[in-house]
Amino acid sequence: MKARIIDKSDVLKIVDSLREEGFKVYATFLNRGHDSTFDLVTDDNKNDIKLHLPNPYYPPKRFLIPHIEQLLNIRKNKEDIELSENIDSTRKAIFGIRSCDLNGINHLDRFYLGGKFTDPYYASRRRNLFLVNVVCTDTEQDIDENCFCLCADTGPAAREFFDLQLMDLGDELMVVAGNSKGEEFFKFPYFKKCTQAHVNKRGEILARVRHQFKPNAVCWFSAAIRLITEGKVPENTWELIGNRCFECGGCTYVCPVCTCFTVSEHSGPNGQVVRTRIWDSCALGGFTRMAGGFNPRKAIHDRRNRRFFRKLAHYFIQRELSVACAGCGRCRRVCHGDVGMPSVVEILRKSIVTNQCNSKNG
Amino acid sequence: MDRQSIHNPYLPKKAVLDFVKDEIDGVKSFYWHFLEEADQQAFSNFLPGQFAQVSVFGTGEFPASLPPSPGEGKLFFSIRQVGSVTAAFHKLRPGSIFGVRGPYGNGFPMDSYTGKDLIFIAGGIGLIPLRSCIKYALEKKDKYRKIQLFYGARTPKDLMFLDELPVWEKQGLEYYLTVDKGDDKWPHAVGVVGALLKKPEVKIDVANSIAFVCGPPVMFRFVIKDLLNLGFDPNNIVSTLERYMKCGLGKCGHCCIGVAYVCVDGPVFTYEQIRKLGEDI
Repeated sequence: MKARIIDKSDVLKIVDSLREEGFKVYATFLNRGHDSTFDLVTDDNKNDIKLHLPNPYYPPKRFLIPHIEQLLNIRKNKEDIELSENIDSTRKAIFGIRSCDLNGINHLDRFYLGGKFTDPYYASRRRNLFLVNVVCTDTEQDIDENCFCLCADTGPAAREFFDLQLMDLGDELMVVAGNSKGEEFFKFPYFKKCTQAHVNKRGEILARVRHQFKPNAVCWFSAAIRLITEGKVPENTWELIGNRCFECGGCTYVCPVCTCFTVSEHSGPNGQVVRTRIWDSCALGGFTRMAGGFNPRKAIHDRRNRRFFRKLAHYFIQRELSVACAGCGRCRRVCHGDVGMPSVVEILRKSIVTNQCNSKNG
Repeated sequence: MDRQSIHNPYLPKKAVLDFVKDEIDGVKSFYWHFLEEADQQAFSNFLPGQFAQVSVFGTGEFPASLPPSPGEGKLFFSIRQVGSVTAAFHKLRPGSIFGVRGPYGNGFPMDSYTGKDLIFIAGGIGLIPLRSCIKYALEKKDKYRKIQLFYGARTPKDLMFLDELPVWEKQGLEYYLTVDKGDDKWPHAVGVVGALLKKPEVKIDVANSIAFVCGPPVMFRFVIKDLLNLGFDPNNIVSTLERYMKCGLGKCGHCCIGVAYVCVDGPVFTYEQIRKLGEDI
């Protein structure tokens, strides 16, 4: 991988260059308090872009699979029916995507582009997407007590999947190109040569950041994968987790990796019908309900079980060659019942310990 | 530029409804063909047990099994009216245009059953997806040994394809019928479908048979128990599952049971696979 150095005062020039190259650039902005968001960069707001800030709730997966999108346009004429697809090929760039979300996009790639069928809507958006990763180095701003990328092995610095990666070295930033698309950017004059001293400094900072993660960052992920894969989680543990779920679906909507959607049709003017797909959630009661009312996954703990089984069962990890959890911690931030991924992993671990103690005593 | 080069599997192909045949109460068969000859050709080599996504434009899409055998040379769906889209489909008239995507799913591996006895056990409209296999097996009668059908429903009026059974019998099918509640004219058995397997005149070569089971969940559970009691290997019991489904492509996530996506890994599973899915069916 090739690397360059850029002065901190020049960093927004990358955004300018992306815009000049014809990309619609979405960057990270801070709202009031700790609320942050990815927003379209315009001439008016570009100086407000923040490099260090809490990772936005609303995950960047929406730039690849929007929460509502049009699949088909159906126009009914008298005798015939006209079908047209609406495939988005806008060139977009995300400036400031975190390493966890980047790994999330890698997983989405494997899911939507892999398997028996390729999703053409996703494929077109993905082909036209440029990713500028920012490494989380500010332990006050970037990282909070819910982050567990260390445990999911996705951060704080992504090793691949980015086009460009920025890492704050103090007054300067180190810019790494992940591929030829990124390297092409090094033609711009604001990039300077990267020395061994810079590389060493990068290593030192990362080592320090890794040790400053909050205690929750360690969550026995691999143990949870083993327990779920081997079916060793007691039924009453799933019930306990299920009882704490409010069935709001929040965890799936903020998840940078969740992929499920539903499809529905809406009538428009002039006999036109739009077939849309909308994010769906396995937490919701109607997710598996069939026409006629039969619902094979009726109990709430079956549905909770489902989400974690889908994410942690070895079979699925093998199928997509990556874990369907990026370690971003959003599900824990959003969950009213505290059954986000890190908490559930902890509950699973404790249930096994308790069960083993009980069986030894009994 | 490269927009056209990607095949869009979400795009339905247009089909025309030819005629509608009443089957049983609430179930009709819809005979149809593709508007484009090329689509018809591409679709015609489907496998027994595969399914299609049917669009009623303006209402939505539903998955439907394919009751004809690939060699039958005609295409039709047998649909029970249960939800809003099937209700809209039932309202279509001959000449109406609707959409079809597919064929999807794995289908029954009929070639691997060469030289075996085929035992079909169906309940109610569970005969619809099995019809394709029965027809397929009868067309290739010399590849298989005995072909038996054990079929049950609530009442004589709920039995599908009754008019075709004598024809199939002439082609080499041995069949046994039962209903939960018969009437004065009912000449066959009364009781559960599993009881048919234990009739004295029924001979089953357990070691060399494949059992196809399809029906409502209750019937499925009891028939599986009966088959296992008879000594069937769970690998030799096959079934086709159904789930709420939106895409048929392994993406929407609705049809997932444990580790399997019914739409791409199924809908045909052996009982051995069903046991190991990691979730109750």
